[in-house]
Amino acid sequence: MNCEVCQLKELVVEPFEIREVLRCILHTIVFHRALGLVRPKDVDSELFEITYVQCGDAELEKKIEEKIDHFIGWVDKHPNRKSQVCLSFYEVKSKQPTWFSNKTERLHWEEWYVNLHVVNRKGNGKFRQNKAAVDHGENSVEERSSRRAVLETSLRDVLFQIIKFVNERKDHIPQVSNSEVISFPYEITIPRLNCIFPIKNK
Amino acid sequence: MASSSCNSFSEPAIMEQIITEFFTKSVHIILESRSPYVSSRNYSGEQFISSPSPSSSSSSSSVRPRHQWFNLALGDCPAALENFDLWRQSNLEPLVIDVVLIRRPSRQHHVLQSPNSSRDQFSNWTSGQDEFLQDSKSEKIVERWIIQYESRSNGSVIRESCPGAKKSSGGNSQSSESSAMYKKTYKKSIIMLRSLYAMVKLLPAYKVFRDLNSSGQIRPLNLSHRISSFAEPFTREEEADMNQFGFTPVDTPCGRLTLSVSYLMKLDDIRSETSTPLPTQVIPDYVGSPTTDPLKRFHSLPSSLPAYASFSRRHSWSNDHGATPVSQSPSPTYSNACVFRANPNSRVPPHNHLRDNAPSACSVPNNASTVHRKNTSFDEYWPSPPFSPSTSPCPAMQFCNDHPQNALLRTESAPVNIPLPRHGKNYLQNQGLPPSPSKAKCVKPGCSPRVDIAKTHISTSSAAHTSSPEGKLQAKKELFRMGDMHTDIVLHKALSLGKDETGSLSGLKISSCTSPRLQFSRSSSRLSFLDEFDDSEFPCPFAVDEDIIDSCNRIEPLDRQGQTADYLETTGLVTARKSQDAAVSAIVKMLKNAPPLRPEPSRQLSSHVIKDETRTSSMERNSVAEVMANPNSSASVAGMTTSEFIRSRTVADAFEELRGFKERKDLLLRQIGSQISESPSKDP
Repeated sequence: MNCEVCQLKELVVEPFEIREVLRCILHTIVFHRALGLVRPKDVDSELFEITYVQCGDAELEKKIEEKIDHFIGWVDKHPNRKSQVCLSFYEVKSKQPTWFSNKTERLHWEEWYVNLHVVNRKGNGKFRQNKAAVDHGENSVEERSSRRAVLETSLRDVLFQIIKFVNERKDHIPQVSNSEVISFPYEITIPRLNCIFPIKNK
Repeated sequence: MASSSCNSFSEPAIMEQIITEFFTKSVHIILESRSPYVSSRNYSGEQFISSPSPSSSSSSSSVRPRHQWFNLALGDCPAALENFDLWRQSNLEPLVIDVVLIRRPSRQHHVLQSPNSSRDQFSNWTSGQDEFLQDSKSEKIVERWIIQYESRSNGSVIRESCPGAKKSSGGNSQSSESSAMYKKTYKKSIIMLRSLYAMVKLLPAYKVFRDLNSSGQIRPLNLSHRISSFAEPFTREEEADMNQFGFTPVDTPCGRLTLSVSYLMKLDDIRSETSTPLPTQVIPDYVGSPTTDPLKRFHSLPSSLPAYASFSRRHSWSNDHGATPVSQSPSPTYSNACVFRANPNSRVPPHNHLRDNAPSACSVPNNASTVHRKNTSFDEYWPSPPFSPSTSPCPAMQFCNDHPQNALLRTESAPVNIPLPRHGKNYLQNQGLPPSPSKAKCVKPGCSPRVDIAKTHISTSSAAHTSSPEGKLQAKKELFRMGDMHTDIVLHKALSLGKDETGSLSGLKISSCTSPRLQFSRSSSRLSFLDEFDDSEFPCPFAVDEDIIDSCNRIEPLDRQGQTADYLETTGLVTARKSQDAAVSAIVKMLKNAPPLRPEPSRQLSSHVIKDETRTSSMERNSVAEVMANPNSSASVAGMTTSEFIRSRTVADAFEELRGFKERKDLLLRQIGSQISESPSKDP
């Protein structure tokens, strides 16, 4: 089975925007892969004029929030860097047990890479106690709003990209073998410094 | 079976059902985010079980709840969608859903139109010439969804695609292949509908829908939809502004399902208009106003309620008088928590709950669809009610809150023509009692307020002060200095008392001052006190009966023996108030002498009273002791009858006698003292 990989469009975000951006993207992806009985939950983004859809599964929401927290913690330690969050779906296959491997293995059939360029703007806004500082503050507000608008447009494009990818690639999806809301096991991988082992979710 | 069905260019039964439900589900998803009267956004949902796979059995799939199809629970299917099922005759016909933005002409139209892009935005709008519209409207298609099932008519393709047409060795393999095919088709349909659900939220029209949904103000724009089986081609200009997106088709054994959308890319200018509500204005000449109908007056609240309703209802669509199309007259069965329900004849303002109105809202399109059904066409225009912001939870209520005439509405709801000379019109209303003309007539002027004041001060003074006579006298001073205290405060204090001595005292007071004709209820609710007074014979709870006035008058002269100068406000009072004051003073005394609920203060009181008693009769002593023996029994307090009233009177009398004895005692002591001072001079 082929592993379909989707590299999403890179988004330039500020640290405080990471959470909302990841929420939009991760929940949208999982919603398309949760083929069990779902009661969709429309969520209005807190920062953007975007409404995304959640599956309504509390456990999923909790896990995504945990991963986002981990990622934000990582970003705090590594500011102003490009990073990726990987959401992958896999199948559990049994194989011949060996001395150094388990009986089961994971065959990833789909991987989504969320590319984020986290930019910390705090260093650019040095306020001085003169008239220029006020102007600079006003400019920073305008800059921030324009950046926010650009990010919102880009985020919307990313969501469209997800929908398009989901529609175009359907043959690689394995059969649904359970009646749970989240039909396929998944994992969310965040980068770790000097660590090549991803954090496995399921 | 499958082979035979495919050879006749028709899908198997289960696939037909999947296709039919796919159409329905698509319509449901689209309309839920575009048309508020179909939306089930407030779907509370029920616990649902996971739906079985479509290949399990045809019977189970047919029994599956409709909202669970494609594992996407959207709530109950509104009546409009059920009509859609009746209309839909064949899956071979395409389904075209046009989302239309309607711009209503208004007086403020010129205000809203900006000279720049808005006019360009609406330049290619068509003026509606629908026969159901009485006035011309501008409407623009902002989205067009096309759902279609394309049947493969090529025989060769059928042989290749339809698994049933393949020659197989055994029926089991054929059925398994068919089952796999159905599962795959169903799975892909699920994914497509997931994408559709996410897509409708991302398109620009969703923002308009959300703005109209959330706002309670009247907007010049409204969203509607149009379902038909053919797509009117766009003009070149329209097509230039539109963006297209096509979902990947889902293959079926004998065809494929396609879904595409054309949407207007830029709706920002339109959204700015949606976010700009119509400027509020005062309409002085509304129907039913005093200016237009001078004979109409708000005599009392119940009779004025319909007038209020009509007045406020009028304002809910005040900007477009008469500009309401026939098809948009809503059913009077709209569920509406507002007072507007009182006036079913007037047009119902927007609903207060989307889900509640879904069935009733569908009565509107039902009427229209019935007409169209005769034409075997679903070319129906489902307009939203004219003056609705199309979806506010309770726009009428919000209108009441937001509209500047709210103040006027409030004042108009207030007037109660109760002839109270001292206290305002809001006397009874502020007391929480439903005002009625009978109450207005039976109120004794100047009587009840004093009782209220007494009640208040009894409740406050007895709680604050000790049982010493000085404290009580001080309380009395404060009581009469209050003057025209507002009665609602009095009532509030009286009713807010907990189970303490003050509460019991108030209860005691009421019972003591009520006419013997009234039966005092032992209900624990403090408001029941007022309910008991809601009597035609004695409508005002604070009016004092004649017997009480007499008893108060009897007590009054005894009061004057003490520090009476401060007790009574003789300056500026008329005779009626004098008796009222006397009644109040008597009641005050009764309450002060009444045993409290708490044992300690009552014991103190009882000991104090008994201590000072020198010449009280045994009968009176017993009566006092009896009353004070049950300080905590609210039932004994509450259930005081006339005999107990006599006992309390006896207690009051005893107290008065005690005062007299005190004075005599002082006098005697003075005399003795003077005698003693004189006697040493006489001794040799």
